[in-house]
Amino acid sequence: MSGAGAAGPGPGSLGAAALPQLSGHAAIVVTSSTPLWYITRATGLVALVLLTIGMALGLLTAVRFEDRRWPRFITIGLHRNMSLLALAFTAVHVLTTITDSFVPIDLQDAFIPFISPYRPFWLGLGAIASDLLIALTVTSLLRARLGHRSWRLVHWTAYLCWPVAVLHGLGTGTDTRTGWVLLVTLLCVAAIACLTGWRLADGWPAHPRVRLAGAIALVAVLVAGGAWLVSGPLQPGWSQHSGLPALTRVTRAAS
Amino acid sequence: MSPAVRRVLRLNPIACDAHGVCADLLPEMVTLDPWGYPVIAPGPVPAELAEHARRAVASCPTLALRLDRQARG
Amino acid sequence: MTAVRSSGTPDQLPPGQLPRLVAPGAPLGLQAHRGRYGPLPSWPAGPAQLIASVERAGLTGRGGAAFPTARKMRAVAGTAARTGRGRRRGGAVLIANGAESEPASGKDAMLLRQSPHLVLDGIALAAGAVGAADAYVCVDGTDPGLAGRLLAAVAEREQAGLPGPAIRVVVVPAGYVTSEESALVNFLNGGPALPLYVPPRPFERGVGGQATLVSNVETLAHIALIARYGPGWFAAVGTPAAPGSALVTVGGAVGRPGVYEIGLGLPASDLIELAGGPSAPLQAILAGGYLGGWVPLPAAAAVPVSPPGLRSAGASFGAGVLIALPAACCGLAETARVLRYLAGQSARQCGPCTFGLPAIADALAHLAWRGRDGGAADWLRSLLPLVDKRGACHLPDGAVALVGSALRVFAADLERHLRQGPCPDASRPAVLPVPGPPGARR
Repeated sequence: MSGAGAAGPGPGSLGAAALPQLSGHAAIVVTSSTPLWYITRATGLVALVLLTIGMALGLLTAVRFEDRRWPRFITIGLHRNMSLLALAFTAVHVLTTITDSFVPIDLQDAFIPFISPYRPFWLGLGAIASDLLIALTVTSLLRARLGHRSWRLVHWTAYLCWPVAVLHGLGTGTDTRTGWVLLVTLLCVAAIACLTGWRLADGWPAHPRVRLAGAIALVAVLVAGGAWLVSGPLQPGWSQHSGLPALTRVTRAAS
Repeated sequence: MSPAVRRVLRLNPIACDAHGVCADLLPEMVTLDPWGYPVIAPGPVPAELAEHARRAVASCPTLALRLDRQARG
Repeated sequence: MTAVRSSGTPDQLPPGQLPRLVAPGAPLGLQAHRGRYGPLPSWPAGPAQLIASVERAGLTGRGGAAFPTARKMRAVAGTAARTGRGRRRGGAVLIANGAESEPASGKDAMLLRQSPHLVLDGIALAAGAVGAADAYVCVDGTDPGLAGRLLAAVAEREQAGLPGPAIRVVVVPAGYVTSEESALVNFLNGGPALPLYVPPRPFERGVGGQATLVSNVETLAHIALIARYGPGWFAAVGTPAAPGSALVTVGGAVGRPGVYEIGLGLPASDLIELAGGPSAPLQAILAGGYLGGWVPLPAAAAVPVSPPGLRSAGASFGAGVLIALPAACCGLAETARVLRYLAGQSARQCGPCTFGLPAIADALAHLAWRGRDGGAADWLRSLLPLVDKRGACHLPDGAVALVGSALRVFAADLERHLRQGPCPDASRPAVLPVPGPPGARR
């Protein structure tokens, strides 16, 4: 992976000299387990894409999209399967992160947000997103037993799960400033934003005020998210503020 | 589902929201009226359609379609 | 079997005499009520005996469905016994349905005004028979003083030491579907006054999850009379297939429109005579209210006014509403106006009713007031089976039945409308009372 200022230890560049001070975090100097770290990042990105596709198909279900060659049950069936795949990839993503001793993330950090010593806030968002995804999946698998009303109540949290996952990726992600990763993420955001707009325009005819509020919220979130992205993760030095381990910073500081 | 038990399809018309997935998955027994709501053929579900009927019931977005034991008389 | 009463005189009312449910003249207070009917009977042999008595009497529900009352009571009692075990209070709830939402019906209002204590007796007896510790009397808001008067009557009985369940008087919102059984249960459970999907039916799970007996106030009044005078006395009027008496509301082109108590099975022509005879030459009778059907004259003259009699004539008894249509009116137009009202009264919970009823109303209106469109007639006929029995309540079924009977009975008018356009009678003022602007619901 390359790109200006990209993190990621290159082979043989692990020097211990001139370690800058890390405020509030112990300098962790361990051997990198590169394959697991790459798998974590890769599965994270794939999980996000799959989650986006699953969410998109859910929105298409809600607006009752239908075509001669694309009947409703395909949308519904694919939505289910893509979401399950997203859960699977998220599970691998979490597993490799925990197993990888390069960063101090343990099992509980994957489920309980904000207690990790590594990037507590952004990682915590990931914990929230995966908790929600588990809840969404379990309630959907038990839908017939739960009844429609309870199932629906939990399913509304999908509107929270997806953006939290995106923020987690942008905030924690080592690769946010990598061109194609950023592009993929932005495409996901664009797709869901459009489909959510379609959903708002299409649904709840009896509640115009709710729809207006939803539309305003959508625009506000997009604008705020964009502003944060440009002023935060896309700026050089974001890793410093977020407590990235010393190793990666050495690579940059060394130049 | 034991083959000896006869099941009938029943619809909760209040929960039904005209998604029409049931008609896609079980066209042999479900057709749609001019407004998109399902018209269900009366009588028990034939054995060869049992699996399709179960899938249609599971796929209903509002859980309006049910598979009930056939009432006697 | 007669009830045990302290006064010891059986049959204080001659069996063949009408009216039974009300006394002519002023409304009966508790004292006058006791003077006319005797005290509230007790049932030392147990509630099952009362239900057996009601069964032998052959009483059927007077709220429209004509369901055998004893069967319903037994079902509720059985469920309550099963689920109420261990409860300190009874395991059942009683709803006395006085929310008369049929626009042309006035019998429940009249009964509650003239003989409230007979209804309250029935509530006490039925509640005891099914094990209900709580009872609700549901009324609509048309008579603003009614709720207050009923509460006063309840208080009067408490002071007199009369036994019975805890009675609450509830005013339900206006609306045609409001008085449906499951709608009342829904409303009392804190929801809207709109029908629910059954199963489970109220007798299985109703108010607060308990077995609930929903009975029309007239049915309860009959229970109070059967408890006093026995099933033999009850069946002294009426026919074997339809025993007992019933309140009917007669309207339209008759000399004295109003509420009458008849022995079931009375020929329709006799009933019209009782109501003052026709005030104009008649062409048909609407029987069963707005979910009933038309019966043409002169054939209707001999039809017995009873549930089985009217059913075999292609109509229904319903809540005992009969409206006489003068020959100078257009039956299609009257029916079209009623359909417009019914379509507006849809709870809008089920697709076929929400969309189907307005479509039927439009098509019928087209035929009534524009005519010359054979396509509209075919479209209307194709709609009927698409709407029939596809809702959660009986509003769509009844509307379809009414339209079906109108197309049959007024077939000649329909032909004329299609060939020559609407008749001038179609623009006459309405005979069938249709309240409020359409679409007033929600």
